[in-house]
Amino acid sequence: MTPLKTVGHATHRIDALQRVTGGAKYTSDVHLPGMLYARVLRSPHPHARIRKIDLSKAMALPGVKAILTHENCDTTWSSGDQLGQRRLFNNPVRFAGDPVAAIAAVDRHVAEDATHLIEVDYEILPFLTDLEEALKPGAVAIHEGGNLSLNNQRQPAPQTYKRGNVADGLKAADRVFEDNFTSAHHNNAQLEMRVSIAEWNGDKLTVHAATQGIANCRTDIAKDLKISDDRVRVISEYMGGGFGNKNQCQDSDLIAALLAKQAGAPVKLEFTRKEDFVAVHGRWSSRQSYKVGVKNDGTLTAIQLTALTGAGAYRKGSCDLSGTEVYQVPNLETSVSPVYTNTAVAANYRAPAYPQGVFGLESLMDDVAYALKMDPMEFRLKNMTRKFRDQTPYTSIGLEDCIRKGAEKFEWKKRWNPVPGSGAGPVKRGAGMAMGMFGSGLGRSSAVMRLDGQGQYHLHVGVTDCGTAAKTTMGLIAAEELGIPLEKVHVVWGDTDTCPYSVGESGSRTTVQTGMAVIEAVRDLKKQIAEKGAPKGSEVLMAMATTNPPQLQGQSRNSFAAHFAEVEVNVETGHAIVTRFVSAHDSGRIVNPLTAQSQVQGGAIQGIGMALHEELLYDKRSGLPLNAGYYGARIMTHLDAPLVDVVWVETDEPYGPFGAKTLGEPTIIPTVAAVANAIYNAIGRRVKSLPITRDKILGVLA
Amino acid sequence: MKKISRRRFVEGTSVGIVAVAAIPEIKAQEKPASLPGVPRTTIRINVNGVDRRVEVEDRWTLVELLRDHLDLTGTKIGCDRGECGACTVLVDGKPLYSCSQLAVWMDGRSIETVEGLAKNGKLHPLQEAFIYFDGPQCGYCTSGQLMSAVALLKQKPQPTRDEIRSGMTGNLCRCSNYNHYVEAVHTVAHGEKA
Repeated sequence: MTPLKTVGHATHRIDALQRVTGGAKYTSDVHLPGMLYARVLRSPHPHARIRKIDLSKAMALPGVKAILTHENCDTTWSSGDQLGQRRLFNNPVRFAGDPVAAIAAVDRHVAEDATHLIEVDYEILPFLTDLEEALKPGAVAIHEGGNLSLNNQRQPAPQTYKRGNVADGLKAADRVFEDNFTSAHHNNAQLEMRVSIAEWNGDKLTVHAATQGIANCRTDIAKDLKISDDRVRVISEYMGGGFGNKNQCQDSDLIAALLAKQAGAPVKLEFTRKEDFVAVHGRWSSRQSYKVGVKNDGTLTAIQLTALTGAGAYRKGSCDLSGTEVYQVPNLETSVSPVYTNTAVAANYRAPAYPQGVFGLESLMDDVAYALKMDPMEFRLKNMTRKFRDQTPYTSIGLEDCIRKGAEKFEWKKRWNPVPGSGAGPVKRGAGMAMGMFGSGLGRSSAVMRLDGQGQYHLHVGVTDCGTAAKTTMGLIAAEELGIPLEKVHVVWGDTDTCPYSVGESGSRTTVQTGMAVIEAVRDLKKQIAEKGAPKGSEVLMAMATTNPPQLQGQSRNSFAAHFAEVEVNVETGHAIVTRFVSAHDSGRIVNPLTAQSQVQGGAIQGIGMALHEELLYDKRSGLPLNAGYYGARIMTHLDAPLVDVVWVETDEPYGPFGAKTLGEPTIIPTVAAVANAIYNAIGRRVKSLPITRDKILGVLA
Repeated sequence: MKKISRRRFVEGTSVGIVAVAAIPEIKAQEKPASLPGVPRTTIRINVNGVDRRVEVEDRWTLVELLRDHLDLTGTKIGCDRGECGACTVLVDGKPLYSCSQLAVWMDGRSIETVEGLAKNGKLHPLQEAFIYFDGPQCGYCTSGQLMSAVALLKQKPQPTRDEIRSGMTGNLCRCSNYNHYVEAVHTVAHGEKA
């Protein structure tokens, strides 16, 4: 791979100074003159019909300016439910946390006080918290049509994928392995809570939103408020993390806009931390049953997955399970059924369908390798994917190098116990690994490049930069293509009035999709400079591009990863910690190794939290969440976090901006399984349910 | 591939991180609320070296005073319930969660926020190191991480990495950029030995 001048070098964020001085303006830092503060009253019951809402006392409180309920607001929140069944205020309410009313008042204390003055008469309905119980005959229907949600083609059937014939594959196997695994609902838990500030100027609406994609957010707001896109401006200059939690528009954007309209003043709506845990969304839980057929030499003949996933009260996410594509196997069937319960809604969280699916799959594959007396790493090298779905060649694939180089860095041969659980104890060490992959498709996005008469280049890109360093990445790509230093590119971002469409920082698409648009805009600008000369004085040259994805000529474009974990497990207390971690990634050319390393280390540490601690627990008797908030969620802290070593496998990728592939989401995909496999290697017993908490470790050892 | 190294940071051969005029100016924007019947108290506080006399509602938290009424929005609210540390400020030199302190309790005390770290247009060495080692991803926890690190180095000028992790464990980072934060603090603390 040819080294480049700007791209590929560790570079500080162009907005780093604002981030360390307190100068960066996040959405919640915006204060508009005359702004009101809003609060949401939420259902205290998991399932109830609202008979009556009495607002008289709340309206009488001095300082209250507007109140919305299902009685005066029937607005649909379309990005809150793929099936269009969700309004901003629903009756019946379907989970503890479903919005019942929203209040705008002169300050946050008055708004909060007013929520306590609203009197709601609820008819309590039976509720469900368990996936299997929700599917039993006679279970209360949370939505019309029952608790089995539709598949992604909107049919009343599971989401399926099939190649070959699993029955034949299992017949051809020397040995068949079967096992069940579960994973928990856990929260994105980004530090910045949901916040929206809405202001109307006549019929034009400005929303300061904490969003991962200003363009999609605008389209969604316009759709649900039934106004045209050009009547809506969305601004998100700095964003305090999302990990999928702030894709599209959120109900807070719509509620703030409607309150602002009713009150005739700008409205700021901030959710509390507890609301962020119970009333936004987290990763969907799962119950997975795998069946795997294998020859005695370790060759896979079949994989079958049947699963239920927990959608929660509404269908906000795909609720699918992924991961099987990382194996080469002639016969594969997957069947995934999303199920409603009266619990927090599930939707996108960093590689939404992957880490939990990979946990089940890679746990079982580990067991298969041990049973065949194979090194789990050799087993994976033997069975890893060579072609996408065994059929389509990859544009580039560095998976084997991820495994080999990652293993070398980790010192796999030294750290892995051929006999699991053979350590002396009470603190036992073990090593585990797992692999994963993620799509890195190219698609449409736009960019504008402008050169003014003073020789300044301006790059307009509709990115918000949720922590991924997207605006720096876009600047680097422009600078490289222009052949100038990054400092000479002025990046304009985060405002739909000044930036063209960008795909949004979801699906790990910004670098590869908006990055291509930047390159095309720069090429056009260079052509114009060559034809017309550089602009002088008040002259300006401008180029814009909307990319058309290149034909991949029957190939598939994917990123790959292999992760290696070492754990110490105290078999007397059940305490497990990760002591060493290596993440090896093929994401093509790395545009900015500094910020990319931050993402890989962060993804792995988030994944360790998912493996060991995190779960939103429900009390089955009351249907109420038990541990919403950071203490209860036990997300990773400074003390829990091991040093994560990063290994880059920079494949020579012919497509995408300078050969860059997707990175952000793959960073968490194999992590959870690697930790689970390391725990097995340490103690010689398998915990088949996430998170792998102390009680479960002690349970399998008992 | 140009990489980030401790040595390069210490030798100062990195991309120039210099002080800048862009540090937010501290504005006095006390906005008196006007609701009747809410108890109010006048307090004297020193914020980032400036003495102030402010009338506060007794129910305001310190972070609310800083953010909503003194326009010091560099201090963030991540949970408003003493769990995450995003709102960490120094009160009389000691780190405190400003969401868990009432503003009226601050009478006669000195408060230092992230906006007060840079002096005379020059960044604090920890701010420089946070930039150099890419501490902030989304950046929402960064002010709190900085204030905790400042307090830690005052109390213990040369902590080990484990001591840094212990000292800052009350500051959550969901981007989980802990490795880079620890490296930044360690390098500032042990700079001359790197």
